Amino acid sequence: MLSRLAESYFWLGRYVERAEATTRLLAEHHQLMVEDQSVSELLSCAVLLEALALPHEHVSHPDELVRAVVGNEETPSTIIGSVAAARDNARAVRDSLSAETFEALNTAYLSLVRGVVITSSPGVTMHRLMERLLTVNGVIEWTMPRDEAFQFLVLGRELERIDMVGRLLAVRHDQLWPSAGPSATLRAAGAQTAFTRSGATLNGAQVRAYLVLDPVFPRSMRNCAADAEEGVRSLARLGVSDKGVLLREVGMLRSALEFEIDDDTESVDRLAEQARKAAHRASDQVNKAFFRQHGTVVWSH
Amino acid sequence: MSVDAPTPASASASPEPYDEMLDGENPRVSHRSLHEVLTALGPSDLNERARQRDAYLDRHGITFSLAGRERPLPLDLVPRLITPEEWATIEAGVAQRIRALEAFLADVYSDGHIMRDGVIPRALVTSSTHYQRKAWGIEPANGVRIHVSGSDLIRDERGQFRVLEDNLRNPSGVSYVLENRRTLAHVLPEIFAKHRVHPVSEYPEKLLEALRAAGPVNVDEPTVVVLTPGVHNSAHYEHAFLARRMGVELVEGRDLYCRDQMVWMRTTSGPRPVHVIYRRIDDEFLDPLHMRADSVLGVPGLLNVARAKRVTIANGVGNGVADDKAVYPYVPEFIRYYLGQEPILDNVDTFDLSDVDHRAHVFERMDRMVIKPSDASGGYGLVMGPDATEEELAAVRGEIESDPRGWIAQPVVTFSTCPTVVDEGAIEPRHVDLRPFAVNDGESVYVLPGGLSRVALPRGSLVVNSSQGGGSKDTWVLDEESPRVVAPPAVPRAVVIDTDAPERHDAPNQHEDRLIQQERQQQQGPAC
Repeated sequence: MLSRLAESYFWLGRYVERAEATTRLLAEHHQLMVEDQSVSELLSCAVLLEALALPHEHVSHPDELVRAVVGNEETPSTIIGSVAAARDNARAVRDSLSAETFEALNTAYLSLVRGVVITSSPGVTMHRLMERLLTVNGVIEWTMPRDEAFQFLVLGRELERIDMVGRLLAVRHDQLWPSAGPSATLRAAGAQTAFTRSGATLNGAQVRAYLVLDPVFPRSMRNCAADAEEGVRSLARLGVSDKGVLLREVGMLRSALEFEIDDDTESVDRLAEQARKAAHRASDQVNKAFFRQHGTVVWSH
Repeated sequence: MSVDAPTPASASASPEPYDEMLDGENPRVSHRSLHEVLTALGPSDLNERARQRDAYLDRHGITFSLAGRERPLPLDLVPRLITPEEWATIEAGVAQRIRALEAFLADVYSDGHIMRDGVIPRALVTSSTHYQRKAWGIEPANGVRIHVSGSDLIRDERGQFRVLEDNLRNPSGVSYVLENRRTLAHVLPEIFAKHRVHPVSEYPEKLLEALRAAGPVNVDEPTVVVLTPGVHNSAHYEHAFLARRMGVELVEGRDLYCRDQMVWMRTTSGPRPVHVIYRRIDDEFLDPLHMRADSVLGVPGLLNVARAKRVTIANGVGNGVADDKAVYPYVPEFIRYYLGQEPILDNVDTFDLSDVDHRAHVFERMDRMVIKPSDASGGYGLVMGPDATEEELAAVRGEIESDPRGWIAQPVVTFSTCPTVVDEGAIEPRHVDLRPFAVNDGESVYVLPGGLSRVALPRGSLVVNSSQGGGSKDTWVLDEESPRVVAPPAVPRAVVIDTDAPERHDAPNQHEDRLIQQERQQQQGPAC
C-alpha cells in the first residue's frame, strides 16, 4: 500500500486511542477534584496537564481544567485536537476507509466542534464523547478487513495505549487522593471490574503493577506490547517488513514485561518507563522503515 | 473571419425564461407525475424532508470546501426531468462536440492544419493561456486527450439546449451526480415510484475502462491512479470518491516519482510502477521541471515519461486551449471542418473582444452583456452587466481595452427555470444549467445519462457555480416507458412452509431460571 496511506492509518489508530484515553482520564480526574477537595486545585490541575504534556498556566479550577483538556482544533493532543487529527487522517484515506468508520468519526468530530456544553455537567459530556469514540473503535473492528491498513492502525493504537497508560500512571492519583485515587486510576483505564475480580488488593502499588504487567487485561502495557508484536508479525506475513528491526524492538519490550517479573513498586515503575521509551522508539522505526524509506529523487534545472 | 457577429436584435431581447415544469398554468405532460407528488407533499412535509437531507449529507460528509470551510453541496429536493427525446439530442450533440474537440487538440499539438486552412487564426490559438508548447508532440497512446469532459449546457427561451462553455481540463461534480441520486432516494422515495429513471451508478466503471484503455501500448494490466492536490482541495471529496469506486489508489504528488523513464509510487513494500494517471491537478502544477518550478503538488519529470509513452496523463496536458472561451465561438466550425457535420447543439452568441467591430458593439450595450475572462472557469472574474455598477463596468472596460484577447462577451441568456424548494418548503422557479459528463475511451463517447444540474438559489440569479453560491439538482433522464407501471408481485396461492428449518438454540436453563425468578418475586409479596 501507499506509504502515505499507511502513515495515515497508523496515526488514525493513535489519535482515536489518544482521544479516548484522554477523555477517560479527564472524566475520572475531574470527578476526584469535585468529590474530594483536600488537594489544592492548582496542584491537581497542574499534575494532569503535566502528564498530558499540555500547557498549565492559569488553570486552577475544575471547569478550567476541562476546558484546557477538551481544548480546540489548534492544540494537538487535547481531546478536540486529537479527534480532529484522527478525522484529518481518516479524510486522507477516505477512498479506502470503510464508510461507516468515517461516518462514526465524523459524527464524533461534529458533536465536538459544534459546541460542547462543558461547564454545566462535564461528566455527561465526557460520557457522551466516550460513547462516540467507542462506536468508532467498534465500527473499525467489524468493518475493516484484516489487511495492511488495519495492521498499521492496530500498531498505532497499541503503541499509543502503552504511552497513555504511562501518562495515566504518571498522574499518581494514589498519592494525591490516597483513598479514592487507586480506583479512579482503574476506572480511567476501564479496569475496575477486571482488577477487583483478579483478587488483588486495592492499593496504589497493586493497581500500578496490574496496569503494567497483567497478562489478561487488554489495556495492560504487557498486552498492548503483545498485540503490537502480533501486528508487526501480521505485517511481515503480508510482505511488509523491515528485516526484523521493528519486531525486535516490540518483541523485546513484550518479553521484558512478560518475564522480568519483580513485583516491587520500583521495578514496576522502571518497566513502565522503559515501555514508554520503547514505544517511542518503535514509532520512530515504523516511520523510518515504512513511511520514509525511499530516498528522495533530486532534480535540478 | 469565419464567425459572424450576432445580430444586435438577438442581444437586446430578454424574454421570459423557459419554465421546464409549467406550460402556462399547467404542468407539461412529462412533468405531471412529479407535479402531483409535489402538490401532495406540501410545504411542511418538504421542509421536514429538507432537514432529513441535510442530516444525511452531513453524516456522510458529502461536502465540498469553499474558502477553507467544508460544507454540503446544497441539493434541491425536486429532481430535474429530461425526456428521452431531449436526452437523445444532448447525447448525440455532446459526443459530436467531443469528437471535434479531440480532432482539434490533436491538430494544434501537431501539424496545425486548421490554422493553415484559416478556420481559426493561429494567433488566437497560440495566445491562449492554456496552449502548452510543452505538450507539443506528446501523442496519447489511444489518441484520447479528453478522457473526461463536462460541457455546460443551458436551455434558452425556446427550450433549446445550447452549449455555454466546454470543460476539457478537470471538470468536477460527477460524484455529486451519484450522491444526489442516493440521497434523494433516501429522503424522497415516493417520487421515484412514479418514474422510470436511467441509473447513473455505472459511471466509475466506465471511467476505469476508459483509463485502462488509454494505458501505454506495451502494458497488459495498466495500474491506474487518481492524482489529487490533497485534502484541502475543494474537490477532494470527489477525488476520493472516484478512487474508491474505481478501486484504485488515490495519490498525491509526493507519493510518485520518476526514474528511468517510468513513474513509480512509494509503497510500504517498495516502489510500484504507475501507468495511467487520472490527474485532478492543473497543468501548471503537474511537473515542476517543465511547468511552475515552485509546485509541490506535481511530479518532477512526469512530462518526459509521458513523452516517452511510458505513462498516460488524463486528461491530456494542454487541453485548456480547446475550452478557452475565445476559442469557443469557433467550435461549430471545428465540427464542420473535422467531421463534415452540422452541429447538433448550438453555441450561445459570443463576441470576440479582440475584434474591433465586436468590441465597439459590446461597449455600447455592456449593461446587457455577461463579460467573462477567456481563460477562467468556475465563474471567477465574471461580470454580469445588468447587475454591475457603472464603476464596475468602467473598470472591466479598461481591462478589456488593455487585454482584448483576455475577455469575451455574451448577451445575457435567460436560462430555463425548474421548480425548486426555497425557504419553508415553498416551491419557486429557479434558473438551472446542465453539465453532462462524457467519457471517451477511444472507441466511443459515453455520456452519463443525466449529469449535474446546477441551480442558482437566490431569486433571479443566473450564476450557478458552486463556488458562487449555487446548488444542485438530481437530474433524471426518463426512460421510454415512463411512468413506471407499478404492479404488485404475484403472490403464489399456496405457501409451502419449510418444516425442516433448524431449531433455535437457547442457552440451557435460562427459561427455567426466569420462571423460578418470577415465582420468587411473587412469593416475596409487595414491597412495604
